[in-house]
Amino acid sequence: MRLGVIKAYMAKEFTDLKRSKMIFLVYLLPVMILILFGYGIRLEVKEARTTIIDMDSSKLSRELCDSFIHSKYFEAKIKNIDYREALEEIKRAKTDIVIIVPPSFERDIAKGLKGEIGVFIDASFPLRGQVMQSYVEGVAFDLAKKLSPQKRPTIMVNQRLLFNQSLRDENAILPGLIALALLVAPAILAALLIVKEKEKGTIFNFYSSPVTKYEFLTAKLTPAFLLHSINIFIAFLIATYIFEVPFRGSFLLFLIASELYVATAVGIGLLVSIVTKTQIAATVLSMLITIIPSFLYSGMLMPISAMEGGSFIEAHLFPVMYYSHILYDTFLIGEGLGSSKNIIYLVALAAYALILMIAGSYLLKKEL
Amino acid sequence: MKLEVKNLTVKYKNKTAVKGVSFGAASKEIIGLIGADGAGKSSLLHAIAGVLKFEGEILFDRYRYTSPKEAEPIKADLALMPQGLGLVLYDDLSVKEHLQFFRRIRNIPEDPEYEERLLKMAGLYRFQNRLAKNLSGGMKQKLSLICTLLHRPKLLILDEPTTGVDPLSRRELWEILEETRKSRNIIILYSTAYMQEAKKMDKILLFDSGEIIASGKENELLQLAKPYTYQQTECEECFCFDGRCYSIKPLDAARTEPSLEALFFINALKKGEREKPINIIPKQNEMPKIIVKSVGLTKRFGDFVADDHIDLELKRGEILGLLGANGAGKTTFIKMLLGLYPIDEGELWLLGKRIKSYQDRIELKNRIGYMSQNFALYKDMTVKENMEYFANLHSLSKKDATRKIEELSNGLGFREYLDSFPQSLPMGINQRFSLATAILHEPAVLFLDEPTSGVDTVARAGFWKLLHNLKKRWNISILITTHYMSEAEYCDRVVVLKEGKKIVDETPERLHQKFPGLDFEEIFINFYRSENASGSN
Repeated sequence: MRLGVIKAYMAKEFTDLKRSKMIFLVYLLPVMILILFGYGIRLEVKEARTTIIDMDSSKLSRELCDSFIHSKYFEAKIKNIDYREALEEIKRAKTDIVIIVPPSFERDIAKGLKGEIGVFIDASFPLRGQVMQSYVEGVAFDLAKKLSPQKRPTIMVNQRLLFNQSLRDENAILPGLIALALLVAPAILAALLIVKEKEKGTIFNFYSSPVTKYEFLTAKLTPAFLLHSINIFIAFLIATYIFEVPFRGSFLLFLIASELYVATAVGIGLLVSIVTKTQIAATVLSMLITIIPSFLYSGMLMPISAMEGGSFIEAHLFPVMYYSHILYDTFLIGEGLGSSKNIIYLVALAAYALILMIAGSYLLKKEL
Repeated sequence: MKLEVKNLTVKYKNKTAVKGVSFGAASKEIIGLIGADGAGKSSLLHAIAGVLKFEGEILFDRYRYTSPKEAEPIKADLALMPQGLGLVLYDDLSVKEHLQFFRRIRNIPEDPEYEERLLKMAGLYRFQNRLAKNLSGGMKQKLSLICTLLHRPKLLILDEPTTGVDPLSRRELWEILEETRKSRNIIILYSTAYMQEAKKMDKILLFDSGEIIASGKENELLQLAKPYTYQQTECEECFCFDGRCYSIKPLDAARTEPSLEALFFINALKKGEREKPINIIPKQNEMPKIIVKSVGLTKRFGDFVADDHIDLELKRGEILGLLGANGAGKTTFIKMLLGLYPIDEGELWLLGKRIKSYQDRIELKNRIGYMSQNFALYKDMTVKENMEYFANLHSLSKKDATRKIEELSNGLGFREYLDSFPQSLPMGINQRFSLATAILHEPAVLFLDEPTSGVDTVARAGFWKLLHNLKKRWNISILITTHYMSEAEYCDRVVVLKEGKKIVDETPERLHQKFPGLDFEEIFINFYRSENASGSN
């Protein structure tokens, strides 16, 4: 490895990135991903339109109605209509939830029987439906708890509140988005830096000169790695300042894991550049193999622990899972380097980076 | 110092590009590889440069290699300039930065004196801060060449460095090479599509279908061709072109001096190829006297003026050659005529009608035929399906379409290929069938954009004959672009463009009268020179 050769190639790379304005892409893409998806993806439901038909009109039923009306999650109205009309409202998407309190509500509870209420929820978006269901249940349990405090509160409600007490979506999504952004962008850049030369023909300068594979790769991948290392800090600041996601863990762990992860992404880009010949193909392929697993296995939409069989194994095959575990830990939980799982996952990331680089430099040929 | 190539074969997945080629070269020699696109020149050069897998062996300066990996140690002494204008240059780097980059990746000490000399030789000394993307085609090639000379290679491999380059820059490129050869021990391998360059080579290898069909000095090769070259005459089993006939069987005609092209015709004859008969049915067409008239036609792309006030007239039944290097504005001009680019300035008449808007063009569309660069055909449809598709575009009835396809495929000699896919066809056949597609609807005027570029000699000759035949039988007018200056010979009138400006508009006969004894290459260089002298440069 001759340092002068690498420096010359790298200097050319930086000049080229700057003059071709590609440098903007380097920073625009991850920021866009974080901002757009950060504001765009909403799993929590606020102000669900709720129609309540109170057929009991008792003290207890009014108390129940009030807790819906005063909750920020519901925008509840008591209406004096037939339940069929209420259902029609759901059908026409005028309301999301219909709650029917039967005439015997208070009487049944007083007798020591179960108090039943009827709930209809618009579940055309299943996830949203489920969330609304759990909210309604939560309100009902609260009331039940007040009526008979000796009974243990249901576990379900509290489970959702762990680590994310304020029930903020940002907290749940931003770490996953960082995992997405720091995989997609470095992979694309690394692939483009190499494929651009193939497409234009300047790759001949490498092929026909004594420049070695390792010099060439070092010169190509280092800029991608360095430029995207800055994105680690940008992503961190966007999450903590703009989206106000708490950061409870070790910054050192976050930084080491992120650098290893960016190196992994660069390695993916390298492999993409070996099988593609045009910039457009390289971009599409990098996006395809990075975005889909990131969405699925970052734990953003579904926790890995809840996966079974095939998807569980698949999740473990992609580096995304290991990194996002560390992200969620450092942002929300804060176990840090003390957790052996974190250490194992850190090693896993390092292994990914190493294996991809070795495979890439082996597969890269200095010929057409 | 010697280069020896022994029994070299290059195979791709489904074809063999180079078939057991052997040759040798000594120090200070320029070895020329001449042949059409796809003849195997590039594959051979890439193999020697150690960037392509091959079979056989290569010896250079007593070092033997049989694979790209083994070639690695000689790469410090080797330079490759691959085919394509400015292919190895980085658009966003300046001339100076290129020299710096190549010097550093070659890991050689800075030699300001040598670099200055190279820059001056290439005429780039004044343009050191210009970005590569703002250089003309000729300047790009000169810069590429001096970048490859920077590390003083002992083996210089140049793959069509002059294709599409203007004649003046071409001459300057050659001057750099001559200068280099004089001062140092170097072997130069040089491939080209221009036969005229053969004069300057110490040894010529003529390539056809991956094989060397003949080799030697120019006069040796001409001697080889002499017994088969006759004056224009009526004959069968022969090729006739440009006032000469080539035949293996003795002809009853006087012999004449051959040109290098002769060897390609003779080789084709030896392989049993025969001239494809052309049989075009005459047509009567009512046409105005002036088919195309442009006054001050101008096209700008940002600051760049692609066509600068071009006046041009295409008369009825005329073949007008629009000549110029790559980037001179030929394609842009045709695209303006076709309405593919909006006209920025100037006036245009097509078939006697002033063109002001898109509406004006619609009714003319069926009277114009166009064949684009690289033959825009659908590679997943057979020849017949392609033709049917284009017939449909011109709303020919099914019956008419079938009749026309039949007539043209017979007349232009590609009937047996109707059910093949374009990519599997020889380039000459593709060229004919593209032309057939462009004339299916019997247009009054034909615009052809570089139809002969990269096509082999025999097919090119056939194509020109075909155009003349078509002109005679249909009284059609043809505007054809080419970067082969020598093809001016076959046009009724030639217009030469240089960087968007018209510098010549004359008949070939007049040009010959004006410059007796010169070939078109040399004639046009005069115009390029005087244009440079009077121009702002």
